[in-house]
This record gives sequence, C-alpha cells and structure tokens, in this order.
Amino acid sequence: MARYQAGDLTAARCLIDRVSPQLHRFLDAHSATRADTDDTLQETWLRIHRVRHTYRPGEPLLPWIYAIARRVRIDHYRKAMRATVRELPLEDLPDATAAAPAAFGHTEDLEQLLAPLSASQREVLEMLKVAGMSLEEVARATSCSVGSVKQKVHRAYETLRRTMSARELKNNHSGALP
Amino acid sequence: MTDQEIDDILQTAAGSPREVSAQLLERIAGSIAPSLRPVQPFPPNWVLSGALGLIAGAVALLGAARAGFQGFEALGLLSRVLILSALALFIWVAARRAVDEWTPGSRRRLSTGGLVAAFSVAVAIVFALLFDDYRTESFFAAGLTCLSTGVLHAVPAALIGWWVLRRGCALDSVSAGLAVGALAGLAGLAVLELHCANFEALHVLVWHTLVVPVSAAFGALIGWALRPTAR
Repeated sequence: MARYQAGDLTAARCLIDRVSPQLHRFLDAHSATRADTDDTLQETWLRIHRVRHTYRPGEPLLPWIYAIARRVRIDHYRKAMRATVRELPLEDLPDATAAAPAAFGHTEDLEQLLAPLSASQREVLEMLKVAGMSLEEVARATSCSVGSVKQKVHRAYETLRRTMSARELKNNHSGALP
Repeated sequence: MTDQEIDDILQTAAGSPREVSAQLLERIAGSIAPSLRPVQPFPPNWVLSGALGLIAGAVALLGAARAGFQGFEALGLLSRVLILSALALFIWVAARRAVDEWTPGSRRRLSTGGLVAAFSVAVAIVFALLFDDYRTESFFAAGLTCLSTGVLHAVPAALIGWWVLRRGCALDSVSAGLAVGALAGLAGLAVLELHCANFEALHVLVWHTLVVPVSAAFGALIGWALRPTAR
C-alpha cells in the first residue's frame, strides 16, 4: 500500500488482484446481479484510489479497505432503493436475480445460511468468516467497538444455532417417516 | 449445536475466494492508472488533533478577548483550574474523534453520539459541583444570550476545523458533522466560561451545557445535508 501511495502501478495492480476476490464476495451480498457487483467493485476501487492518502502506513490495511467498501455498498444500495421506488416494475424483463446464484457458486449456500440474521450481524460474519478479519479489524471497519462486534457475533450464533437445530429436527422427522 | 460446529458450517459455505474476471481487474487497474501519482499520507492523528485543539483554544481566547474576561476574573482558583482542565481534556478527546471520523478504519470505543452525550453529562457534573447558587433572574433572556454567544463562537471553530480536515475522508458525514460540531461547541463553551460572570447554578447548568449538544446537532444536520446520497 505504501508503494501504491508512492505511485507504483505494479503495487496497485498487485493489491487489486489480491483483495478483489474477497471484496467482490463482500459487495455481492446486496447486489442483484453479478454485473451490479462488478460495478460496485470498480466504484470501490475508484473511491479507494481517490482517498488513498488517508491510509497511514503501519495501520492495518483490511479495515481501511473494508470501511470504504462498506460505505460504497451502503451508498449503492440507497441509490438502488431510490431508483426502485421511482421506477415502475416491468413484468416482461428477465429475472436477473434468479439467474445469479448458479453463476456465483458457494454464495447461495452462505447467503441462505445468513438469511435469518440482521444486516449488521450478516456483515460482521462475512468479514470474520469470508475475509478472515480479526474482531479488532472488524470493529475498525464497521466503526464500532470490539465489544459491540462480539455482541453481534454472539447474537448471530444464537440465531444460527436455533435455525440449524430446527432444520436438523425437521430433517430427522421427515427421515423417520415410512 | 456448538459454536465450533457452526464455525465449520460457515467456513464450508464460504468456500474459497471467488474468481474475479481478469478483464474486470484490468479495467479497474486501467481506470486508476492515468491519475496514479505519489501522494502524501494523511498526517498522524496526534498532529491533526493537536492542530484542532489549538484552533479551539485560539477561538476561545480570541472570543473572550473580544467580549471580556469577566467570568474568568470572578471565578475562584479551584473553579478556574477544574473548569479549564476539564474543557482542555474534552477538547482533546473531541479533536481525536473528529480526526478518527475523517480517517477510514479508525478504532472506536464509543459512538460519536455517545461521546457527545458523555461530554454534556460530564460538563453538567463539573458545573453542579462548582456552582450552588440556585436563585434565578431572567433565566430565559440571559440564557438565550449565552446560548447564542456560545453557538456563534462555535461557527468559526467548526469552519477552521473542517478546513484542517478537508484532505480526509468522512465516510459517515452525519457522524463527522456531529464530532466537529461537538468540538466547536466545546470551544464556544470555553468562551462562555471565560466571559460570562453569571454564576447562577441553573443558568450555567442549562444554558452553558446546552452549547455542546446544540452545536453538535447543527454539525450533524449539515453533515446530513451534505451526505453523498443527498446529492
């Protein structure tokens, strides 16, 4: 990142190549289509590029990147919501959201698992489990305290435990039927 | 079901990082390449916080120099030390938070709204400990004069503070406005403590303390009006 700040294009490319896959997955959670996620990813990198001087060498990099990505995602989502409210639904358009999961591989499973959680709980788990960030890094990226992150994780696990146990019980019952 | 089992299920579901098309990565690199120049990293937090603290102090001193130091002269030594050291501490904490709001990925232990509430309560406690004259004369007239004086002096502190932080990146403009507003409000409060010689406990407790949350609310309102999605 320090070399990127110094104007080194190779370092910038290396950073983009390394961080983009996990960033793409993070941004995907609120996007309707893959093209939408691609656009948001590009917008995120442009924003990172514009404010690259605000990164202080020596500080953890991932929270800085994710804090910006999170804001781009929120802005993008709000703009999309406003556009949805203003526009009339067109019944004849192909359902882009229905086609997306097949192309996205694992995402559908994770999305399904995290579906019962609130948006903030989902976001925290995505950063912890998908991006592999620490509690401290997630706290920095989401502008809240470590205690608050721990609480969200605890509540998320409680919800997941309930949901998974219920699903397991249902599967057992249906398996026991003749 | 244990936490470890849930962890394993989540890890399996997350899988390996997704492939992003080489074309997209190339497009991203291509879009930043033309404007890729060396940049000077943002100064360390203590430098910017120090600058903001000095600005708040300078605004307080200049404001009081213009209006008069009657309040400071009428205060006892203990009150002077307690009030000014408490204000200096709050200004330092508010300045650090304002810098954090302009730096993505900074560490937070308390929300900015919580910090403004904490400032207001702490200031009220200091005043409640030091002032015990509970008579009231022209409560509203004198109070509104002090409130407007404090908030008006907060305006230059906020504008200069914003100018110092302009190179930063405020991801949450409402929170950033709240932080700068609180800092500026503390500068306005410092003007009142140096100038106002009305030591009625209710006057100081209500109207002087109100300068901080009112300035912070104005800051948050401006931040809300300037948020990117509002444009």
